[in-house]
Amino acid sequence: MDPVKITIDGKEVSTTKGKTVIQAAAEVGVAIPHYCYHPKLSIAGNCRMCLVEIEKMPKLQIACNTQVAEGMGVLTQSAKVLAARQAVLEFLLINHPVDCPICDQAGECWLQDYYMQHDRRESRFDLGKVHDRKRTIFGPNIVFDGERCIKCTRCVRFCQEITQTDELTVINRSDHSTIDLFPGAVLDNPLSANVVDICPVGALTDRDFRFKVRVWYLQKTPSICPGCSTGCNISVETYQNRIARFKPRVNEAVNSHWICDEGRYSFHDLAGGERLTTPMIRQEGGLVATTWDKALQAVFSGLKAAKPLAGILSGRNTNEEAFLFAKLVKMIAAESALEVFYQERELTAVQKILMSPDRSPNFRGARDMGVGSDGGFDALLGKIVAGRFAAAYVVGEELVTDAAPPDNVRAALEKLAFLVVQDTRLTETAKLAHVVLPATHFGEKEGTYTNRQGRVQKLNAAVIAPGGALQDSDIFIRLLDLAGARNGFWTPADIFAALAREIPAYGGLDYDSIGDQGIERVAAVAERHDR
Amino acid sequence: MEKVLLRNIGVPDAHTLASYRSRGGYGPWRTVVESMRPEQLIEEVKASGLRGRGGAGFPTGMKWSFVPKDNPKPKYLVCNADESEPGTFKDRLLIEQDPHAILEGTLMAAYAIQSHTAFIYVRGELSFGASRLERAVEEASEAGYIGKKIFASDYDLDVIVHRGAGAYICGEETALLSSLEGGRGWPKVKPPFPATHGLFGCPTVVNNVETLAALPWIIEHGAAAYAAMGTDKSKGTKLFSVSGHIALPGVYELEMGYPFKKFLDEDCGGVPNGKKLKGVIPGGGSMPVLRPEEIEKVNLDYESVQAAGSLLGSGGVIVMDETTCMVRAAWNIARFYAHESCGQCSPCREGCHWMEKIFHRLEHGEGESSDLDLILNISGNIMGNTICPFGDAAAMPAAAFIKKYRDEFEAHVAEKRCTIKMG
Repeated sequence: MDPVKITIDGKEVSTTKGKTVIQAAAEVGVAIPHYCYHPKLSIAGNCRMCLVEIEKMPKLQIACNTQVAEGMGVLTQSAKVLAARQAVLEFLLINHPVDCPICDQAGECWLQDYYMQHDRRESRFDLGKVHDRKRTIFGPNIVFDGERCIKCTRCVRFCQEITQTDELTVINRSDHSTIDLFPGAVLDNPLSANVVDICPVGALTDRDFRFKVRVWYLQKTPSICPGCSTGCNISVETYQNRIARFKPRVNEAVNSHWICDEGRYSFHDLAGGERLTTPMIRQEGGLVATTWDKALQAVFSGLKAAKPLAGILSGRNTNEEAFLFAKLVKMIAAESALEVFYQERELTAVQKILMSPDRSPNFRGARDMGVGSDGGFDALLGKIVAGRFAAAYVVGEELVTDAAPPDNVRAALEKLAFLVVQDTRLTETAKLAHVVLPATHFGEKEGTYTNRQGRVQKLNAAVIAPGGALQDSDIFIRLLDLAGARNGFWTPADIFAALAREIPAYGGLDYDSIGDQGIERVAAVAERHDR
Repeated sequence: MEKVLLRNIGVPDAHTLASYRSRGGYGPWRTVVESMRPEQLIEEVKASGLRGRGGAGFPTGMKWSFVPKDNPKPKYLVCNADESEPGTFKDRLLIEQDPHAILEGTLMAAYAIQSHTAFIYVRGELSFGASRLERAVEEASEAGYIGKKIFASDYDLDVIVHRGAGAYICGEETALLSSLEGGRGWPKVKPPFPATHGLFGCPTVVNNVETLAALPWIIEHGAAAYAAMGTDKSKGTKLFSVSGHIALPGVYELEMGYPFKKFLDEDCGGVPNGKKLKGVIPGGGSMPVLRPEEIEKVNLDYESVQAAGSLLGSGGVIVMDETTCMVRAAWNIARFYAHESCGQCSPCREGCHWMEKIFHRLEHGEGESSDLDLILNISGNIMGNTICPFGDAAAMPAAAFIKKYRDEFEAHVAEKRCTIKMG
């Protein structure tokens, strides 16, 4: 990497050979306005928004396709540049419908933002606008508005270069140029909704999210996708204590700029449905509401009495919860086997770009915490079905319908002497329980996940759990209290500090330094060197 | 003046190999293959001063020398036969009447850059010309001028005639390459340039038909003979397509530096029917129009026309007499560019149509005087700010018509109609 010195607006900047002006500027916090440029896509150079002045060059140059050279002087704010920027914005807006009040992109629209920063004048265009297709369905998740499109071709390049599924192209010429599906194609690849994220304007919108919330009302919480163990970094965006959408957060070590559609919409299943808000206990005639004290006492005595005990933790439980669960079960059950829910499926080539074959985002972390047994999850479930356990403690997973074959599982669970189910909803599994404990989902808790590669990443609570439900970790702490263990744990940070002391792979990790990009656990580094 | 480019035009069956060969055809090609190294050929063409006849006038030998010799990828030579500049029909004449001269030049250029596959990209509408080129390639292949081990040397070359689908933009060299690759005819961002990253990402040279057609003559007569013609910086001869209000329209070959006024008045017979000249576009529709007083001292070479405020371009000379409505003429040209913009760059895609719509309302008596400055401003905002020169090609004539015939535009606004007496 040869070092190169250039000046940007008179300020000397050190960068490296091969970088473009837009990259070198971004590194030092100079944001050059652009539409078609995207760091992960090929250079199109068509929007002309990033025109800058290069000293000694007669014409303005596009910053996205101009490589830095020693001594180059770049001006991003000269009168010539500002005039060109204003002109490009005017060109982009003359045929734009300016229907912001009914456009879902309003509030996060690059036309709006740049107009406010660089144009701010009355339109000089008083002629008939070009019309194009409105609300055209491109795929199950995507709807297209041709009139709002600025033809930056980011979506086309995404489908050509990232998914290589080639659904989209540009058709027609001049001001009738527009984006369309190839004949017979549907924009339904497993990463399709990323085109909504990279569309800088309101041309491509998300059919799931659109018209639900104006984006400026959204509260954004950095977190981790609960869909699988890839651990894509996301922003959980909420409105009135409900999750409205997931958006990808950039993390080059994990998911780059993207998330898959399955993960993106996974919150509907995971956070939806009618919530449990009170503990329940089985009496003659079925489950009846009870108090937390009575329920936890029943769990404590039930688990102590029955043996052997099978403990099944959800793949969406955090490291902190897994650490406590392992501690708890080992403390109160004389004989036990622990597992984290884990099942694999076949993935297509496009799915493999991001997705892992499981639906357990923290299976690796749970195993690190000691939630694991010989043979894995399927073997443990097999033993339950075979009647080898007297009791089971199931956290956050629907075993009856999600594990195969369901009939055998149901029959086996019915035969158990004692079954505790801790979940957010009254699942088919919970209906069989002796005690049901209302808990929380991924969006309501703080903690850490360890992804498939061994990267420890942080979850943050985006919504508040309903009254009556307890955090999984609080339930475990209270049961540990009943067992006589006084750990003094109150927050996920406390628990993490403890597990960092006890689990060698997490030795030396500091909760606060995980940040919003995660850190690799010790073993992950070692595993990589082994390979 | 000895004819370089039109030397075979008018000869019976000039398009056939037999006729072409009877006049010395493919002798220069044999000379090149048997006695010249590629570098020698490049030096010879550099010495001739030949400049690209597609419009930009870039020195041909220098263009060839940009192709890297150590690049392991295949190299391609492309003959740009996508002539579509408004008012230009010189290449068409050569394609239809003297295809072997183009082909022989194509072979030489390919040899210069050591390409083993050459393409001739023919404008889609020129189906007759394309069939003549295809036949010429067949004949030359049968005669052994194309193919394996040409003239028993180690040099192999294939030539493929490719018909375009009919888009003005495909005459722009990188749009042509996109089209040849099977994609949309979209110009590519530069850098990288075709010399290093052209067709299919390989080193490529694109030369115009007229440029290539001059090569056999240069080899036969020597670079010095070619360089002896023309001016200090514009060497040799050039074709001019003359159309419009002129007594003798057609394709003319002139020595570079020929006086423009003399050419129109004497060679082309002047403006007919006793009418007065109102304006002339010297280099195809993309170039700024010149008023009669502006061409008084202009000579037809790159430098002189540029000094007069226009460009020699393709040599498409469009003559307009006093019965021409310049507002309508400007609208006509604006309409062409609005239709042909490839739609890639924001300024060109949106700006060309905007200008066309304003010209339309001016011509139809619905314009306002502020429209004139608005067009000047829009054209200024397009100029120089697009991927390819199309934006300039649309902006330059629009601005020139308004600047040079402003009174006529003002009259349209004031009278709310056209006041020109049509011939």
